[in-house]
Amino acid sequence: MATEEPNNNTYCAPGPIDKAELLEPLLTIERLGKSFRLNDGSTLVVLKDFSLTIHNIRNKPQIVSILGPSGAGKTTALRIIAGLDPPTEGCVMLSEGEGKPLRVVEVGDIGVVFQRYPLFDDLNVINNLIIPAVRSGMSKKEAEDKAARYLDEFDMVKQGLAWPLQLSGGQRQRVAIMQQLMQDRHFIILDEPFSGLDPVNIINVIELIARTANQHTLNTFIIVTHDVTSALIISDHVYLLGRERDAKGNAIPGARVMKEYDMIAEGLAYQPNIEDLPRFSEIRKEIKMVEFAKL
Amino acid sequence: MATSTARLFSGDTPRNAYTKALRLYGTPGAFVRANLIVIWLAMLVAVWVFNPIKALPYPSEVGQAFRNLWNLQGSQGLVYNTYVTLKLNVVGLLYSTIISVLIAYMSVLPIFQPFNKMVQWLRYLPIVGFNLVFLTLFTIGWPMKVAMLTTGMSFFLVTSMTGVIASIPRMKYELARVLGYNDWQTFYSVVVRGTAPQMIDVIAQNAAIGWVMITAIETYNRTEGGIGSQIYAYSSTNNLPAVYAYLIVIGIIAVIEDWLFLLLKRGLFPYSTVAERA
Repeated sequence: MATEEPNNNTYCAPGPIDKAELLEPLLTIERLGKSFRLNDGSTLVVLKDFSLTIHNIRNKPQIVSILGPSGAGKTTALRIIAGLDPPTEGCVMLSEGEGKPLRVVEVGDIGVVFQRYPLFDDLNVINNLIIPAVRSGMSKKEAEDKAARYLDEFDMVKQGLAWPLQLSGGQRQRVAIMQQLMQDRHFIILDEPFSGLDPVNIINVIELIARTANQHTLNTFIIVTHDVTSALIISDHVYLLGRERDAKGNAIPGARVMKEYDMIAEGLAYQPNIEDLPRFSEIRKEIKMVEFAKL
Repeated sequence: MATSTARLFSGDTPRNAYTKALRLYGTPGAFVRANLIVIWLAMLVAVWVFNPIKALPYPSEVGQAFRNLWNLQGSQGLVYNTYVTLKLNVVGLLYSTIISVLIAYMSVLPIFQPFNKMVQWLRYLPIVGFNLVFLTLFTIGWPMKVAMLTTGMSFFLVTSMTGVIASIPRMKYELARVLGYNDWQTFYSVVVRGTAPQMIDVIAQNAAIGWVMITAIETYNRTEGGIGSQIYAYSSTNNLPAVYAYLIVIGIIAVIEDWLFLLLKRGLFPYSTVAERA
């Protein structure tokens, strides 16, 4: 049993975006820290000085991956970014587009597609889409039209009246994504979307995420994963989450962004046959053989 | 012929269908399941007929007692006493369900959790021990019996219902939160709607406890009769066939009650059938 440390937030203050920047930040994570007090009185530092900024990319959606081995603190980071848990230090701020000010994120601002795709089991698929949307203020007619459109787009029309317990894992994932998209949000975090999938289904999920993200240039998808290849294929930026090591090679408590791969600068983002490019293989090898070993 | 046999055994050979009944989580099909019920009932009757325990009356004696009780008129009759107890059971179950559901739902608020825990602890205490308290608060007879049964059953119902609510995965609440639900919407969607079928299961399970309590409660409140008072009276005079006739009546009512709760659950919450299979 661990208890959360209180927030000593001194870094974050909402304010306007600097218009001089060509690409304004949509989501800023500033020096995030998270620690838990353990039963024996000691403190477990999970995140420390974890910072990253997701910029708006002109005419393109934003898909970034937070990549790290198991136990690196990815889920803790996800929960804080989504506003589900408060950070001990730092903050997460988001903007809803050009000219809109950055503000501290609150729960409900960012959609989350959880790893096991929880849905409301007492509602059939279409009502899993309509009812949450209506509760968030959308008119019933609009929600029905939108749900019908998404079911068609996601090839789930036949399952519209099915109960969530009757769906396969892949179908549940699609419903979970649709449920978040119904909310008219541009920010969605996906927790391990490739976990437990075979190679064909991984490709399907990559295509689904890319297609969905491309529906709006402000769409910002954050993928939390340990799947290096999938993260590199789909993302415009990849952030490696891990812990620094001291001179003796021992891990220093508190994970942070250890390295950033700008796939646009590398000339890899948006390439149709990205896996065939030599630089892709180099980066993948570097992450798998060198970077992951250091984390 | 072969086709009808295949249909009975869900496309399997009879041998294979029955072998499945011996396998872990085997699926022998509806026909084999029905046969298994008949076989087990037959074995039960056989044990009863050939039992060496003298204190257990034979089926023929119980059958005769049943006929005698059926023919008795007024407050001594089987129909009257069954009606009195059944009415008490239904009313007690209804009141205790309402009270327990409210106390269990309140457990989502930390301020009520100690109270909820105290109610749960009370299930260890025999309800007849509070006889005088109930006598002071309620009129002897029907009001006192209802109050005792409601209170006694509520202790168990609150425990089970709170357990159902406590077992809701945290992710369900978080899904509602990220979808922008406020506290009331989250409570309604996740707690009230999300646990409704399990709550019916819990009520069905605890209805059985009601029947155990009824005999004790009606023993202390014999003015209006009822199965409990009759079992007590016939036990005192060593008329065991009559006692067992009433026990069989309770058993039959219990089976019907279980079936009605199952129908209610499947009717109100069709997805629960899928959940049962899952």
